[in-house]
Amino acid sequence: MNNRPLRKRYLSLLLAAVALAGPFLNLSARAWRQDSKPSETLLVTGDIPTPVGLKAEDLDKMQPESVTVNEEDASTNYTGVTLRSVLEKAGAPMGKSLRGKGLASYVLAKARDGYQVVFTPGELDASFGNERVLIAYKREGKALFGYQGPFRIICPNDKAGARSIRMLESLEVVRLRK
Amino acid sequence: MRTSPPSLPLFCLGIACLGFGAIPLTQAGGGYDWRLPKGFPEPGVPVDNPMTASKVELGRRLFYDKRMSANGKSSCATCHKQELAFTDGLKESVGSTGEHHSRNAMSLVNVAYSAVLTWSDPTKTKLEDQALVPMFGTHPIELGLREGDGFISRLQSDAFYRQLFPTAFPEQANPFTVGNVTKAIACFERSIISARSPYDRYHFGGDDNAVSPSAKHGEELFFGESCKCFQCHGGFNFSDATVSARTTGRHTEFHNTGLYNLSGELTYPEPNLGIYEHTRLITDIGKFKAPTLRNIAVTGPYMHDGSIATLGEVVDHYAAGGRTIHDGLFAGEGSRNPNKDPRIAGFKISPQDRADLVAFLTCLTDQEVLHDPRFGNPWPQ
Repeated sequence: MNNRPLRKRYLSLLLAAVALAGPFLNLSARAWRQDSKPSETLLVTGDIPTPVGLKAEDLDKMQPESVTVNEEDASTNYTGVTLRSVLEKAGAPMGKSLRGKGLASYVLAKARDGYQVVFTPGELDASFGNERVLIAYKREGKALFGYQGPFRIICPNDKAGARSIRMLESLEVVRLRK
Repeated sequence: MRTSPPSLPLFCLGIACLGFGAIPLTQAGGGYDWRLPKGFPEPGVPVDNPMTASKVELGRRLFYDKRMSANGKSSCATCHKQELAFTDGLKESVGSTGEHHSRNAMSLVNVAYSAVLTWSDPTKTKLEDQALVPMFGTHPIELGLREGDGFISRLQSDAFYRQLFPTAFPEQANPFTVGNVTKAIACFERSIISARSPYDRYHFGGDDNAVSPSAKHGEELFFGESCKCFQCHGGFNFSDATVSARTTGRHTEFHNTGLYNLSGELTYPEPNLGIYEHTRLITDIGKFKAPTLRNIAVTGPYMHDGSIATLGEVVDHYAAGGRTIHDGLFAGEGSRNPNKDPRIAGFKISPQDRADLVAFLTCLTDQEVLHDPRFGNPWPQ
């Protein structure tokens, strides 16, 4: 009988703990959702003078280009900037600085789901491969969303689609010889 | 998936590629209105059977007509019900005489885009040819028709058909032929396009509220590096290789997904041995088509033999990298099947992610195609 108030108190404490923990439990569920949301910033890191973060509006202020590719039996238009111009902006070895040791570099493009592909400055630079690879942020004039975006790579001249990665999150420049 | 590699050119992954399936296609003539939304390619049609509204209407009548079976008990629609995305809801279909088919009925939705038509016959690439199988096939008997059994006369005795056949084939003196029956049915089947699911409204229409956050996360899993579902169910049709008016035919693939691993040489239960039935290559045992996932939520049970009841269990099968059957006639560790597609490697998935993946698959259900009167039974009930 004497225990009753004590039990009540424990019960109250338990309820209070659940009430307090509840929002945190919910929060953690929401946090999981938030974690799965795409970053709105494309990070350029690695062996460059300073890491750079680019948003879609930053790319819009560069020199956007559009490319139409045959995608799923339909012509699809993408807008973006060249990977080359992004690397130049980030200070990666490109143009005149792309020689000697600079040619022993690569760019690791990472997607949000962990998928990764590699490009080299040599294949992109106008004096070498001159390959037009686009970092797209619009599809048919609208911002990329969902599993596609907010950034993806388009390799118009690749025969297979495996390097045209979606959910692009970062570009890491790696210089093998410094 | 790969978040990544997509679908630019819907590339052939090179595994088990077969040289079947080059279909003589051309752009649909006659100004047929496909009512395609943006993002959907115009289907290809055979040169000798252009789409016309009159052929589609004739085909619809035939599709739902039980006089298309020898005993008047079945029509095409018996195994291909509109409300079930033109499947029948059965594990294995049942013919007009009660004989059981060994396979699960395939959906006819978006069949116009299918590079191959059946679960495991690489030679069946044209709907006009495929229609002959249920009509006249004997292993198993489906509609049970036989040449000369008078079914053409039965059609000819109907006032509707006396009007529809000449309208659909105006250049022919006698349009009442088996060939024209299959052409009309093929036209109707090609007209069944599904493109208005919540996913389409979200993905192509830009309606952010059309699908739930769970489905959006499921989409990322579907196309992501961990699950990679899109590798076999890719493109706008969530299927293996598609064809359209722009393509002249693609290499098709068939996959052993590790559903069985029986002891002995034949690792799958007979008679469902996959394309081995045609190639007689031991390495082809258990290889089947990856069908479209559009409307998949209403087409259960799943797999070529209807041996998996729910979408959640299908996800479990792929997550495990194959199905293990512990006892009975079919006992075996499917993940160790020697012909298993290496892409069926398994993945870890949380209960929440599993639910999200199912939510994504469910949002591919197009209620319009399930209830559109253009595809419904035209005969008085």
